[in-house]
Amino acid sequence: MRLAYEFGDALMGGEAFQAPALQTATTRLDRLEAEAVYILRELAFYERAALMFSGGKDSAVLLHLALKAFAPARAPFRLLHIDTGHNFAEVIAYRDARAKEAGLPLIVREVEDSIRRGSVRLAGPNASRNGAQAVTLLEAQQEFEFDALIGGARRDEEKARAKERVFSHRDAFGAWRPRAQRPELWGLYNRHIGVGENMRVFPLSNWTEADIWAYIARERIALPSLYYRHARDVVRRQDLLFPVTDLTPAAESEVVERLVVRFRTVGDITCTCPVESDAANAEDVLIETLGATVSERGATRMDDRANAAAMERRKLEGYF
Amino acid sequence: MDGGAIFRPAANWSGEQVRFMTAGSVDDGKSTLIGRLLLDSKSLLTDQAAGLEGEDIDLAALTDGLEAERAQGITIDVAYRYFATPRTSFIIADAPGHEQYTRNMVTAASVSDVVVLVIDAARVEHGVLKPQTRRHAAVAALMGLDLIVAVNKMDLVGWSQERFDEVRTAFGDVAGVLGLRDIAFVPVSGKRGDNIVRRGEAPWYEGPTLVELLEQAPARASHAASPLRLPVQVVLRHGGGRLYAGRIESGAIRPGDRVRVGPGAVEASVAQVRVGGAGVARAEAGASVTIELTEDRDLDRGGVIADGGVRYARRVVADLCWLDEHAWTPARRYRLRQGALETQALIEGVRFVRDMGTLENAPASALKLNDIANVQIAARDPILGDLFTELPGTGAFVLFDPESNQTAAAGMIREIVE
Repeated sequence: MRLAYEFGDALMGGEAFQAPALQTATTRLDRLEAEAVYILRELAFYERAALMFSGGKDSAVLLHLALKAFAPARAPFRLLHIDTGHNFAEVIAYRDARAKEAGLPLIVREVEDSIRRGSVRLAGPNASRNGAQAVTLLEAQQEFEFDALIGGARRDEEKARAKERVFSHRDAFGAWRPRAQRPELWGLYNRHIGVGENMRVFPLSNWTEADIWAYIARERIALPSLYYRHARDVVRRQDLLFPVTDLTPAAESEVVERLVVRFRTVGDITCTCPVESDAANAEDVLIETLGATVSERGATRMDDRANAAAMERRKLEGYF
Repeated sequence: MDGGAIFRPAANWSGEQVRFMTAGSVDDGKSTLIGRLLLDSKSLLTDQAAGLEGEDIDLAALTDGLEAERAQGITIDVAYRYFATPRTSFIIADAPGHEQYTRNMVTAASVSDVVVLVIDAARVEHGVLKPQTRRHAAVAALMGLDLIVAVNKMDLVGWSQERFDEVRTAFGDVAGVLGLRDIAFVPVSGKRGDNIVRRGEAPWYEGPTLVELLEQAPARASHAASPLRLPVQVVLRHGGGRLYAGRIESGAIRPGDRVRVGPGAVEASVAQVRVGGAGVARAEAGASVTIELTEDRDLDRGGVIADGGVRYARRVVADLCWLDEHAWTPARRYRLRQGALETQALIEGVRFVRDMGTLENAPASALKLNDIANVQIAARDPILGDLFTELPGTGAFVLFDPESNQTAAAGMIREIVE
């Protein structure tokens, strides 16, 4: 596995990280960071909180912020990944390495196990397992009795997310009820939950994709290298590039091309598409992001394309 | 800013960030105006704009996001949107105009630096504003927000300066009653995009566009020069010592400062100020910090590190916006949250309820959804006796219903009783 940056900071040690001498939090990244740290510290309220950590860039930023929020002490979270079994090996390796380095216990639960139990039934062997994650997530939550799950979702990603609270209350079925959302005032968050209920918490709510890349560049956060330019076999379907892998082979009629690409998101292989790019590091990606004409999920996620309300419906069913 | 300028999304990520909300009566064109801001600032990405081509684009469809809303044609919740100009990045909290959702406007106002109030010029007749417009102006005043009034649909009244002035005067009367000052007015057409991002047709209007007004709107005044208030969110243990983690709501802190901690206002001195684990020379309002004290003090989660002038109270008078569908029950104790502290509280009496239509105070003995009332509250544990107008970070509180866990009310401290 190649890491784009060396891990330069020793947050757990507490002293090596270079912070500016004056902390005013008026500029954008400072304001967003201070807010995210504040939200993560609010999580100390819960007995059993887990931070959703997939090895993707948003969860990498989230983990970095969580370490900062509680430094020099240890962050009071376990890491949780719901593995569809269709992830890039490199992302999984990064996930394991980063969790170990952070010193936080990592729990992995497989969609495959839910399929075996019969709680998930897929349309076909190679169908996207993204929607099925919600089932496995609820099962994991019940198994470990998590009372709060911290996610890296951002409001700029999608319409239903744009209306999400920072502290999003879920009933015992994990369902999101937009009409019953609690008003959220001044950062005086309402953290209370009833028996069997839980809270989904989104510290990156106010971040945009550009903010994420700017922060990754500023903080030198390491990511799996497939976020940056690399040569990859792909086929063109409609206006998207599809990665050619063992799991997603090209059809006989299709022309396989080897292009220089990067991934903007790294989810389930069967529904994550790369884009052509020459970006070698986070600064390059930021510059590309500033000029982007297609939004992140639209370019790369087939699962949201099926229907304009696809995300809203999945959230109602307990999707993160 | 001229109409040809191309704005990249988030082009200025190192610059200032302004958070604003939009308000206004239903059908006054709020969603269209936001759609126009997003579209003309080029931050709309092509897939989100799909289906929006053609003569009469439905800009409102951009912000009316949820399926239920599209079916009903109204906005039912606060939606957050992001765009940027070359100077500034913006977060919009789009609050609904529908009367029963005033609680969402209060929510949006509490996280905003400034409010844009949209008024339909074509529907202000004989100088009478709609009740919702008055209500929203009253909420802005209550929550201490700066105000920009966008007089919309000016194309429908032939860009009549007379009509614009009429709206100005009508609003000026309301503003006078509410004590709102320094209000900016701009004539716009959300549908055509005049004076939103690019300059409009009215030759008589030479003032700034809406985006220019927003860029000039200072982020909510910094409270770095105010008295120190640092509520402790969590106590961290490290190497046998205790570190206090929280966000500075007002003031500044540096190593060596003499401070007062906890409800006893016990004196202590600051040994170290950390941000993200590393020591810093000084930190100001807005920063999330970790503090080490020189002395061993009885300070816990919910306690406050404050300056020497801090005072605590058990009984305060506050303006309360009732947010819960369940009306106030006089005998019930609510959970009060101020800063990082949660304690029990009892509403001892309602002094009056503000009629948002007439802007007059009426005696009342009940509190129901969307009421804005002046009440006396008693707290079980001492709370900070901070006035909202002076220290909004700690002069604000919320009430939770201990049975349903719903957020019942938003409060702003106006007087200290004892």
